[in-house]
Amino acid sequence: MGLRDRLFSSGSAAPHAGSGHEGVLLLIGNPNVGKSALFNRLTGGSATVSNYPGTTVDVTRGSLMADHQAREVIDVPGAYSLEPRDAAEEVAARIVGEYPDAIALVVLDATRIERGLYLLLQVLERRMRTAVAVNMIDAAHAKGILVDTAALQHLLGLPVVTTAATTGEGIKDLVGILHKAQVADLDAVGDRIAGKTPPPRAKLPGCAGCGRCG
Amino acid sequence: MKKTITDLEYGETGTIVEIRGFCQALNSLGIRTGKNVKMITRQPIKGPVVVIAGDVQVAMGCDLAAGVVVEIRGMSDGSA
Repeated sequence: MGLRDRLFSSGSAAPHAGSGHEGVLLLIGNPNVGKSALFNRLTGGSATVSNYPGTTVDVTRGSLMADHQAREVIDVPGAYSLEPRDAAEEVAARIVGEYPDAIALVVLDATRIERGLYLLLQVLERRMRTAVAVNMIDAAHAKGILVDTAALQHLLGLPVVTTAATTGEGIKDLVGILHKAQVADLDAVGDRIAGKTPPPRAKLPGCAGCGRCG
Repeated sequence: MKKTITDLEYGETGTIVEIRGFCQALNSLGIRTGKNVKMITRQPIKGPVVVIAGDVQVAMGCDLAAGVVVEIRGMSDGSA
């Protein structure tokens, strides 16, 4: 099914039928942004967490009950891009390639948001259903950094939540927005960043819930 | 004045104006044209160069760094 068909298929409840990976959740992000800590929060698992990058080089899997439905959660090794340059990035790129229909939860470091946007863009280019978690929000607040998630959500047209995986802040919100993950319309994102109002999107399945899509 | 990152003095800041050669690896680390960087460490004998780009320290090999051209903005005590 082409992207256009998928985007404009008339409101079917399961637009991604087929591969069996629709419920899978991939935690994707730069090294050392807290993917494994989030994974543990979401699944009650015990992935190794430490305060330096490159801890996860293999894949950890767990499951999460949300909306009366079990989801497989995959803790992907940290990567700066999906064009691999080291072993961890190779694993990350391979998993992303293997689960094109999964939900990508892109984890950003709230204290260094810009660095993670490059990877986020690469995920969006792959037309994956995506949600964004701005993690380490407690560290950002400690540094006096405020994150305008409403603006980010509006620009991207994707659900965005702030989390602090180590304290558990925002985890419930995160679980609550997973079903709103959707494929980003990159042309519209470009328009909004340029200050233009993109043409309203046709009836899309799902909604980021920002209420400003027009 | 333009210099490559390898020629920056300690603490010198500049704005990246050109990346020669393979830039994809650097782009994903936040080294892109238009970004400000500050050189903080340079190892001798063609060793790696460490710069701060937007709050993040990035170490790069001498060969990569030699391809990054910056417009000098001066010395700075704060982060770039």
